[in-house]
Amino acid sequence: MKGLTHFMSGAAIASFFLPAVTMAGAERIGGANSFILVLGGLFGIMPDTMDFKMGQFFTKAEHEIDPDPMDPDPQMMAEGLGKALDECYETGKMVKAQMYPMRMGADLWRQYVVQFDGETNEVMIVINEVVTTSQVPVLGSEPPPNKRIGRYKIKGEFNITHSRPSVVDIMSGPMYGFVKNKEGKMEIEFLPWHRTWSHSYVLGAMLSVPIWLIASLAAGWHIGWLYGLIAFLGFSIHLTEDLTGHMGGSLWWPIVKPRCNGLNLFKASNPHANFSIDYTAVVLILFNLNRYAPSPAFTLSTFQYFLYGLILPLGVYFSIVKIFGEKTKKKKEGVISMEKALAREEMEYAAEEAMGGEM
Amino acid sequence: MENWIVILLYGLAGTILGGFLFVVPSIHFLNFSGVVIALWGHHQGLFPVAQPLTLFAFFMGMVVSFGIMNTIPSMFLGAPDESAVFVVLPGAKYMLQGKGYEGAMLTGLGGMLGIFFLAIFTPFLFFGLPKLHVILGPHMHWILGLIIVYMLMSEWPKGTGKGDTWWQKFKGAWANLFAGIVTFVLSAFMGFLIFNRTMVPVQMGFQGLLPVFVGLFAVSSLISAILSKQKIPPQHVSNSIDLDYKTMWKGWMPGCIGGTLAAYLPGVTGGIGGLIAGHACAQRDDRIFVMSQGVSKVVYYTGQFLLYFIPGYFFIGGGGLTRGGMAINLSPFYKPQLLQEYFFIFGIVVIAASISFFLLSFNSKWIIKLIAKVPYQNLSYASLAIVVVMVFFMPAMIEGGISAATLLSGLQVIGVMCVSTCLGLIPIFYHCRRSNCMAVIIVPICISMSGYGPSLAALLGLA
Repeated sequence: MKGLTHFMSGAAIASFFLPAVTMAGAERIGGANSFILVLGGLFGIMPDTMDFKMGQFFTKAEHEIDPDPMDPDPQMMAEGLGKALDECYETGKMVKAQMYPMRMGADLWRQYVVQFDGETNEVMIVINEVVTTSQVPVLGSEPPPNKRIGRYKIKGEFNITHSRPSVVDIMSGPMYGFVKNKEGKMEIEFLPWHRTWSHSYVLGAMLSVPIWLIASLAAGWHIGWLYGLIAFLGFSIHLTEDLTGHMGGSLWWPIVKPRCNGLNLFKASNPHANFSIDYTAVVLILFNLNRYAPSPAFTLSTFQYFLYGLILPLGVYFSIVKIFGEKTKKKKEGVISMEKALAREEMEYAAEEAMGGEM
Repeated sequence: MENWIVILLYGLAGTILGGFLFVVPSIHFLNFSGVVIALWGHHQGLFPVAQPLTLFAFFMGMVVSFGIMNTIPSMFLGAPDESAVFVVLPGAKYMLQGKGYEGAMLTGLGGMLGIFFLAIFTPFLFFGLPKLHVILGPHMHWILGLIIVYMLMSEWPKGTGKGDTWWQKFKGAWANLFAGIVTFVLSAFMGFLIFNRTMVPVQMGFQGLLPVFVGLFAVSSLISAILSKQKIPPQHVSNSIDLDYKTMWKGWMPGCIGGTLAAYLPGVTGGIGGLIAGHACAQRDDRIFVMSQGVSKVVYYTGQFLLYFIPGYFFIGGGGLTRGGMAINLSPFYKPQLLQEYFFIFGIVVIAASISFFLLSFNSKWIIKLIAKVPYQNLSYASLAIVVVMVFFMPAMIEGGISAATLLSGLQVIGVMCVSTCLGLIPIFYHCRRSNCMAVIIVPICISMSGYGPSLAALLGLA
């Protein structure tokens, strides 16, 4: 799920507590108003914050592929990545490889695409055009055909048939973790530092303890527990929502360390899933604020409220998406450029074959 | 009926005047309204006192034209206001591709769709908003707090992550995050200072934020344009826009949500609303983004002023809703009472939007011709000169004449603008989000609404 979705969910879960809503409301007599509900949102986004703003920098990769932006060598890059896979195959240990972006100037980057081909068991690197920081390609800036594609056949076999290509261009590059599974096939973990220790209910509980203590010292022991509880629930809703995706998380770290798989219901970036959860969070917050208000503004029954406020609007939304939505997945420009380069290579190969046949 | 025609004529005058005026960088409808109201004080015949709705129609026309027209200084001249700041980067991208006209028309089309949204949303507004306000009114401070926390937390590292040690990687990646936090904190501090101890002449009243916003967004962008020495390729004026219905819908939805958020929540601008709504809808496409920003700023500016026209009797306990500078500026003069007035004003909105859309096309075309003839750097210098002169003479315009006092006030205002320009340059040089500068308004409002304002002011020695 996207950051905003976790954030909104955290705030929504906090709004279920009457004392929290009462403390936050401006009708409260005496003193300033509380920001306790914000705590839910803050802890809702916390696991990804720890990963992307801290965790990734502490993870050391055994192999670093840092190509020369002015003269990138796709073959060398493919070999670099392939050797990391071979090392994993030979040692049986997890090996990590970090790909770096190619910065060419203040606003220019050389784009490339990484793909693992399960059919040929090859690592493939395709160098694309130069792009601006807004990811707009500079037309005609792609390298000549002979310096565009690099391939490396790995020693083992991939556990996948065809991976999704990774487009690397601006700011940062991906890290891959390679693992040899029980059948001796190679598995690829995308961003091995993501959703590990930071995505654990145990860590959530540990982080909520200082919140509980600080809040208790500041506001009293009778209410401090609520701050700790809201922080924990905000954190936990993030982990639970992430289980809907593919990646899952290390839910019981440090007790159980490996990352479990998600339910694979939808991609974390799915706009419709994100929007419907955001909308649900807003509807829930309004419902709670109204029912805990000294004089509620609307008096619909719970069923009527959720029917008119949630089910019908989302029904209309998904009907529109169903009727008018994209029928096919839109590819990234970088992937299209890669496919064109590969098609060209294939055509040249076919032409050479044909000419050879004539001779 | 005759009265309505007079009112309509005032609406048209506001639209057409705004349509040309807001092409000039840094002229904001709020500041211009201050000048017009001051002028009205000196020339009583400017608006018929017996028909206060003429004043509202004039300014509604102006607000609508501003919402659509402010794309021009933002996109073509690189001098945005606080709501159009997010259009600058994608706008520059369109310009570099020679498609500046298409980019401008995309935002204009977004604006028209924003008006369409307001038309269909209006009936719900009467019945839904008053109830919503009863629920959300007491919780506004933490809702703003949520937005503040999200703005800070949702900015991710932009460094390449290269380095031999974890510290080198961490430091490189955090440079922009740190700059973002610094910008946010300093902007918030500046806003708190301005809200609690004004640094501009008191006569400027609500216009006090003019030098701050101009410095944060317009002057800093112009300095960046001058320093970057970027060459603008020839611009193509197309007869059609690369847009399908699906893309339109994808831009419309976040824009409407963002604009509505901004119109209702104090201190949240159309740009921030659009940004948050864009995250909610998780859309990635420049056309969608540019269009949604067009929708958002029109829904924000127009919707905010339109809220003032919802008759007070719809609200529990009466009173109605005053949101945004324009409603605050005009509230002492008249409070619309009838539903009829709402619908009439909405008619003016529709007419003003249609005229503004055509004026946007017209103005974009001659600006493109100007860019082709005059080097872009020179245009940026000229824009900067206009901005500085406008800000300097703002106190004099409000006072209705030049005097030693107004010139001194002008210097004070320029001083404030210089400080905010320095703040506005941090995100440009360190590649962090420019929305961090919006802390200048959102943080003081949030603190004030939470009830912590007086104690914080006392702590800072401002009480």
